[in-house]
This record gives sequence, C-alpha cells and structure tokens, in this order.
Amino acid sequence: MSNMTTIKVELRTQVGKSAARATRRLNRVPAVIYGNDIAAKSISLDSRELKKLVGGGSFLTSICLLKLGENTIRTIPCDIHFDPVHDFVTHVDFLHLRKDARVSVNVPIRFLNDQASPGIKRGGALNIVRHEIELNCTPENMPDHLDVDLTGLEIGDSVHVSSITLSADVKLTISDRDFTIATITTPVGMSEDAQNKANEEK
Amino acid sequence: MLQPKRTKFRKQFKGRIHGVAKGGTSLNFGSFGLKAMEPERVTARQIEAARRAITRHMRRAGRVWILIFPDVPVSKKPTEVRMGKGKGSPEFWVSKVKPGRIMFEIDGVSPDVAREALALGASKLPMKSRFVFRPGEQS
Repeated sequence: MSNMTTIKVELRTQVGKSAARATRRLNRVPAVIYGNDIAAKSISLDSRELKKLVGGGSFLTSICLLKLGENTIRTIPCDIHFDPVHDFVTHVDFLHLRKDARVSVNVPIRFLNDQASPGIKRGGALNIVRHEIELNCTPENMPDHLDVDLTGLEIGDSVHVSSITLSADVKLTISDRDFTIATITTPVGMSEDAQNKANEEK
Repeated sequence: MLQPKRTKFRKQFKGRIHGVAKGGTSLNFGSFGLKAMEPERVTARQIEAARRAITRHMRRAGRVWILIFPDVPVSKKPTEVRMGKGKGSPEFWVSKVKPGRIMFEIDGVSPDVAREALALGASKLPMKSRFVFRPGEQS
C-alpha cells in the first residue's frame, strides 16, 4: 500500500515570482499546501531531498507528512511543475488530507515478465496504451504502482484493465468500459526496414 | 521524408526562434526520449536520418515516435544569381524546435539499447540534446 514520506519544510514569508526565484537560488523548491477548507500555506523544501523522491517514480502516489515546525501536516502531492529544459522541479502542490478523504490519483503501471511472452520473443513490440491509470481510493489503500503480467501473450493479444486485481476499497475512475492498457504488435521499425531492403533489392 | 501535403502559402519569412518549448516537454508515448537543449531548425532530411539511426540500432524490437514535423518551407536562390528579382524557390522543409522539446520517443527496448539508439539519432541532429526517461525507469 501507499508509502509514507516525512519531509522537513519551512514556511515562506514572501510569495510571488521574485520571492520564488530567490527561494530557488537557495537550493530550495517553493511549494504550497491547500485543501480541506484550510488557508493555503506557502512553504519551501530542500531541492536535493525532493529530487531523490521524485526520481523514485512513486512520489505522486505517496502520503507526505510535512514537518512544519512542531506540526506535522498529512498531505498528498497532487501536482509537480518541472523546468521545461532541464527538468528540475520548480514547484510542488500538496493537498491537505482529511481523515476520511478519498483521492483520485494516477498510478503508474509496471509491466512484468516481458521475456515470458512468446509474442515479444518472436519480435513483437509491447505497445503501451496507458502508462498510468486513474484510481479513486483512500490514501491508506493507495497502491504506489500496479503490476501487469505479460506471460503467455502472443502478437495481437491485448491487456485490459479488467485483468488487474484491485483491493476492495480501490475503484477505477473510468468504470463504464474495459479499456485497453497494452497490446503486443508487430514492430513498426522492423516492417519499414524490411520495406527499405526490398526497395534496395529492386 | 516528412513534408506537408498542402499548404496555404508557398513561402514563409525566416523568423527567429525565441524562448523555450511551451508543450511537448515531457514523455507522452514511450519510456525514453530525446530532448532538445538548444533552439534550431531541423530539416526533414535530418529527422529521417535520425529516425533511421534509431530504428536500425533497435533492430527488431520496440517502437519509435517522431514528435516534430517539418512544416516550414525554406527558400533558396540558385547559384550565380544576382541579388534581387524576388525571393527564391522553396528548397526544403524544416521544423522549428525550441529548447525543452521532446523530438523522439521510443519504447519496448532496454534502457541501455534506448540510450545508445538515441545517442546515434542525436548525432544526426543539428543541436545539443539530452536523453530523458520516465521517473522510476532504470537507466
């Protein structure tokens, strides 16, 4: 189930573009906590600590306990802004969680046993239709990732969302149809190269 | 090679490439990608050369997405022609790429193969670029 991460944060006294840039120059990342009918708090985090957490891949599906002075605030990160060129984190939004809160989160999918799939062994390509699935759940039952087993899949086979087993409290946001997560297809690159070779031979 | 099927006007102004990419800065289709670090015009020939280098290194596996399209015509005057007498005729097509733009995405191969394939593709392009991957992807 969901990871718990404790992050030490500091309150920001000044807000706005100029103050946010000054915060970034001190190797800190500006952030905000909002939600749960409580006034929004402007905070900042250590950039190196945040980089490690974001690089792990399950930051957006973890509960963050923000230590602000003596208080601990239970939140979930709901949005991250990256620098478009260098991909460092420029801002984080944290959503304050109530005790009985339900959240909608995009949970990443991991594809397992691709070498046990005869289709991929014969040269087929795994065409991932969705890298993430949106789930509605309580923060305690939030999975940090979902596993999809590719064992036994041939070229032309597909994996649908119904093949993933979810715990009782976890629900899909899109529940009206059994949408496709991935398919095993003939690789595009192979067919084009084969065509090029055929053209050269002609 | 990539080029538009039909256009409203035959010739365009040269213009300049200012600022950084507003969209297309994160991976959408594949697990690995090639991100532009400098502003540059990428010709249709360069895109095709990069695509070939990437697909050949990946051999029979995986899939490639090209996320830039050369939709800007570049005109040129013939050699040994005096200045004036109007703008030259369209010679080739380019894509104006801003820093931060993901140009190629690939999937279905190991991180090592992806890194090598995109490095070979990057060597065919006129600007500095960087290998990017999804958070949590081993590389």
